[in-house]
Amino acid sequence: MSAAAVGTSFALQARGIHASLGQVPVLHGIDLDLPRGRWTSVVGPNGAGKSTLLKALAQLIPHAGEVRLLGQSLCDLPARDRARRLAWLGQNESSGDDLSVWDVAMLGRLPHQDWLAGPSTADGVAVEQALRATQAWEWRARALGQLSGGERQRVLLARALAVQADVLLMDEPLANLDPPHQSDWLGVVRQLLTQGRTVVSVLHEIGFALHADDMVIVAQGRIMHQGSCRDPATHRQLEAVFDHRIAIVPVSDQWVALARGAHEP
Amino acid sequence: MTAPLDAALHRQARLSVSVALALLVGSGLLLLLGLGIGSTGVESLIAMRDDPVALQIVRDIRAPRAVGAWLAGALLGLAGAIAQGLFRNPLADPYLLGSASGASLGVAVALVALGATPHADAWLPRFGLTGAAFVGATAAVFLTLALARGVQQTMRLLLAGVVVGVVLGALGSMLLMLQPAVMLSMQAFMLGSTGFIGWSGCAVMALVWLACTPLAASLSRVLDALSLGEATATSLGLPLPRLRGILVATLALATGAAVAQTGLIAFVGLAAPHLVRSMLRTTHRRFLWLSSLMGGVLLLAADTLARWLIAPQELPVGVLTAVLGGGYLLWLMQRRVAPGVS
Amino acid sequence: MDGPTTRNAACHRPGLGTRCALLLCIGVLSWCWSTAHAIDIVDDRGMRVTIAQPPARIVSILPSLTEMVCQLGRCARLVGVDRYSNFPESVRGLPRVGGGLDPSVESIVALRPDIVLLATSSPAAARLEALGLVVLAFEPKRYADVHRVLEQLARLLDVPGAQQLWRDIEAGVDAAARSLPASVRGKRVYFEVNGAPYAAGTTSFIGETLQRLGMRNIVPAELGPFPKLNPEFVVRADPDLIMVGDASFAGMAQRPGWSTLRAIATHRVCVFDPAQSDLMVRAGPRIAEAARAMSQCLLRHLP
Repeated sequence: MSAAAVGTSFALQARGIHASLGQVPVLHGIDLDLPRGRWTSVVGPNGAGKSTLLKALAQLIPHAGEVRLLGQSLCDLPARDRARRLAWLGQNESSGDDLSVWDVAMLGRLPHQDWLAGPSTADGVAVEQALRATQAWEWRARALGQLSGGERQRVLLARALAVQADVLLMDEPLANLDPPHQSDWLGVVRQLLTQGRTVVSVLHEIGFALHADDMVIVAQGRIMHQGSCRDPATHRQLEAVFDHRIAIVPVSDQWVALARGAHEP
Repeated sequence: MTAPLDAALHRQARLSVSVALALLVGSGLLLLLGLGIGSTGVESLIAMRDDPVALQIVRDIRAPRAVGAWLAGALLGLAGAIAQGLFRNPLADPYLLGSASGASLGVAVALVALGATPHADAWLPRFGLTGAAFVGATAAVFLTLALARGVQQTMRLLLAGVVVGVVLGALGSMLLMLQPAVMLSMQAFMLGSTGFIGWSGCAVMALVWLACTPLAASLSRVLDALSLGEATATSLGLPLPRLRGILVATLALATGAAVAQTGLIAFVGLAAPHLVRSMLRTTHRRFLWLSSLMGGVLLLAADTLARWLIAPQELPVGVLTAVLGGGYLLWLMQRRVAPGVS
Repeated sequence: MDGPTTRNAACHRPGLGTRCALLLCIGVLSWCWSTAHAIDIVDDRGMRVTIAQPPARIVSILPSLTEMVCQLGRCARLVGVDRYSNFPESVRGLPRVGGGLDPSVESIVALRPDIVLLATSSPAAARLEALGLVVLAFEPKRYADVHRVLEQLARLLDVPGAQQLWRDIEAGVDAAARSLPASVRGKRVYFEVNGAPYAAGTTSFIGETLQRLGMRNIVPAELGPFPKLNPEFVVRADPDLIMVGDASFAGMAQRPGWSTLRAIATHRVCVFDPAQSDLMVRAGPRIAEAARAMSQCLLRHLP
């Protein structure tokens, strides 16, 4: 972590982000400050532009506007440095069937490796930690193509963890995961937070999204609301953006989203 | 590597080494066999010491032909592995980006130009056609790159390659229509043959192979990362356009060098990577080398069989590459037993 | 070559020792004799080949060249031919070294030829020369080519009387032409080479034969020697007679609009079997036979 980054309290700062998919404008002038060391979940209806926002923040699609990572403008940062500090896990990305689980996780160490050098000891340790964190260590020699959807997702998650980046952007990380592993994922995120890392996740499972520290609500390419997940204002905004088809209610010590029928009051 | 101090991953590494060794040993055996097979059979090998013609047959005809077949196959196997990795498509082959049509057009243009003027020098026809094929193949690929405006997106590159291939092919056909005198020579080129490779051709192919294979292997991480999707690969900090451009250039050089010496031999570039995948799964760093070795063995085996089956006559080598490679893949599909075979 | 005269003059220069002079004279004279008897040929590629004496072992991988060598009486010197050479009968027993386009380099080298005759379109020339063989490339496509190549081969094989041979061939063609009555001459012929359809134009070798027989070709000279025609062109031209190989003839009547052609309706079609097709297509020494076969067919079908 550079000296400049230590002082800032924001992991990512975006100003005036406009982005299009093909000819269709998706993001309309997004300004966003994502705090460091906290977990922010991004929610919103389908087609709101959540994935596009994440990709724009990760510099994966062309966009207008400026993004700063840990205080430094991403335009000035070389790609490798950016890759070391910012990890991205995509949704429905293709995955090669030939590589073994271990090889896939090792790909996460690419930003840290020299061109012609093989994996180092540190790389091996990082990969092992990542695979153990997602309970994928036992089958590290199996090919990706032989795994089920959920197992594959855990390996891809391990790949993102192996980068050991300061900021992790995850788009639908719970896809295909069964409930025990969804809960395990929560544990992984909390672990990352204790290490001082920042997590930003796009989730459509509202219940999990409400476990985060902060929530950003996106609709129609604009930020509708940003606030703490325990703030009632956030809950009301959340209900509003989903046309009041959900109700946020407390259950035990968690907040849960209950579905409402079309004609219920 | 310290982390995988366990049997499973070591087994994979050992398997790669055994496959590589098997392919090298196979190549050596086939080379030796190739020296003893041909229109005059083993007699030439036996009479080598006394008979200068027999010596010439073994040393100047069979040996460079066998070595050349291996090298051309190795180049095509490498190019096929790069193509399949770049486009994440198991049906990709080295001719995907228009190199086949470009080589044909180059040869057609050279034949027309050569035919138009009388040439007293021997070097012009000798190097003219092979040079024209090489230039045509590589120029077609670079035209594809230019049309796709760099390698921003794989789909665009693929589409540009198809367009270039079709357009250059049409131009070649038109040229043949206007100058039917060169049609016979063009047919000879398109047929694809290992029969005319000499030591100079082997030297050129060896140089290109020694340059391209380590270069491609050093960029193997790009191919591995690409298997996770272009967005993920970019997020890992890889300068994708530049690296893909280098890989495409390597593909063009390897294909051009092979096509210049042997004409258009199909199926080697497509089958060699699949044959390797049927035996083991590994990262591209080993896969590129293994695919290259497999291509060499495949074409050398096809060439040896082509000379042996109906000796003293020869079968076209392209038929045998299809029978050997395709036959093995068909048998694999029937088996459906071994784990790891999809 | 001005060698012999100047060198002879040097022999008689006074002032040298008698024995040295004698040896010098003998040496120079033998050089003169061998250069005077050296054979210098320029082939169709423009390559100049010089050999000391006529070749004793010949490999030919172009059927027309095989036929020419045999016509010049040197059939016994052929040691290997391509798979398409089938005339005269004696060459059918010779070792086959592949085709013109895909010859087996090893087979050719194993036969230890003094010279290899092939077409200019053959890809083997460069490889064979690199292996140290003497290669001559000829590809006769017109009557003038046949004459020229016969002359070259006669010089190569040291056979006198090539001129007479050519005169006999021309006489044969003329005789075939004279056998056609005035009512047959001038009729319009369509010669189809294959079913694409590719036709033999006026400037082709077959076209020249037709011309010498006094027939007219529906394909004008501007279209080149072997143009690929639009089938409509043939229908519009409505030839008086069609000449075709039997393989192409098979589907001809079913082609759209072709059943209206007078030639097809009245069966004025010369259908050649494979042996005759070979005869027609090869620009070799059997031109006169080809002309005879054509004229006989014309007489049969045209009134």
